[in-house]
Amino acid sequence: MADTDWPGYGKSLKGVILDMCGVLYDSGEGGGVAITGSIEAVKKLKASDLQLRFCTNETQLNREAFVDKLKRLGFDISVSEVFSPAPAAVAVLKERGFRPHLLVYDGLLPEFDSVDKTNPNCVVIGDAAEKFTYQNLNEAFRVLIGLEKPVLFSLGGGRYYKEGDGLALDVGAYMKALEVQPSDERHSTVTADGTVNDLAQAVDMILKQRH
Amino acid sequence: MAGRRALKAVLIDLSGTLHIEDTAVPGAQDALNRLRQASVDVRFVTNTTKESKRSLVEKLQRLDFHVQEKEIFTSLSAARSLVERKQLRPLLLLEDSALEDFTGIDTSEPNAVVIGLSPDHFNYQTLNQAFRMVLEGAPLIAIHKARYYKRADGLALGPGPFVTGLEFAADCRATVVGKPEKCFFTQALSDLGCSPTEAVMIGDDARDDVGGAQNAGMLGILVRTGKYREGDEDKINPPPHLTCDSFPEAVAHILKNLL
Repeated sequence: MADTDWPGYGKSLKGVILDMCGVLYDSGEGGGVAITGSIEAVKKLKASDLQLRFCTNETQLNREAFVDKLKRLGFDISVSEVFSPAPAAVAVLKERGFRPHLLVYDGLLPEFDSVDKTNPNCVVIGDAAEKFTYQNLNEAFRVLIGLEKPVLFSLGGGRYYKEGDGLALDVGAYMKALEVQPSDERHSTVTADGTVNDLAQAVDMILKQRH
Repeated sequence: MAGRRALKAVLIDLSGTLHIEDTAVPGAQDALNRLRQASVDVRFVTNTTKESKRSLVEKLQRLDFHVQEKEIFTSLSAARSLVERKQLRPLLLLEDSALEDFTGIDTSEPNAVVIGLSPDHFNYQTLNQAFRMVLEGAPLIAIHKARYYKRADGLALGPGPFVTGLEFAADCRATVVGKPEKCFFTQALSDLGCSPTEAVMIGDDARDDVGGAQNAGMLGILVRTGKYREGDEDKINPPPHLTCDSFPEAVAHILKNLL
């Protein structure tokens, strides 16, 4: 059931960040399918005075290709509004002097064009889907075990997501497979302020509170 | 030894203890023969996910060890035993060579997942299939959880990482049937009519062989062959009953002190 008593947050809101897979669209054959009401909901947000950004743990495509896919589904969206793990990872790699062995989907490789990949001193994994073969995982494992200080970057830690008519393992499962010690990252516990059935309902609730 | 009954059985690890790849540990064949002359039962125990009992026996006989198939108990045997006890129909994620040990088990409309190491079959689709079943409540049975092993061409991922990945994604715990699980050792002894306090384990892996056996109530003897590294005996608590150079010395100790 939707929590329509979301206590007055709508009035003081200045911006909205939207997750993408599972909110705007569902993954699947032919690039996926827009969730009912989501295209309209995004339009309404853009027509309002709220700032809008999108964030995603999508790591099968680079941002340009990903945004193109969403535009083809009917969404009004541009690359500058989208935040994804790969560019964040590239920044970290360069900042800390890491040269990665990449185990990522081919579609994501362009994001790493500007990164030195020779003589790798770390491993980066993304949602590599069918590229998660024993051979490829073993190769990544051998890079890690051959390093004096093994470092593994994972573009996300999700357990699974909806793919077509079923569920598929997400990068988190493969991250757990390769990591030797749990990550030293700490995330604070967060509880939701409210729950709704879908994006359309969330947007209506937010906009209603502003008038 | 106060509280300890006379020794009735000796469990012996294979790879790293009796032989290193295709070479027998020097003196091991004679030591085994001497052990057999004493009045103890002998069982050979190993964590394998792809070698059937028959292929293990053939390998040992080629190295001049006198062993019979019925004396071998593997992690595959332990998995089969569990599947039979619980009347499960397993999806077997195993190499073809391991399927031999599951002959006669119904695998139609699987309601459980048995996961070993199967590089040929480990791919995104198969793991997703296993994941979906486990998420729906199918028991996940892991042959063992070794993180990696040594292959001719270098180190290679063992089944452990894949089990861990599935456990994480499905938020469940696998039932692990191989060493160092207690049930592996008690099962290995069960058809000998012998309790753990009447048995000793000889192996090269401090944690999986000796630690596991002692945790099950057996005595453990650590040998300095195979994967043994200096200081391994300090890594388990309680420490091994004995640490010695190799299998022949372990047998000498047993014949002299434990019978």
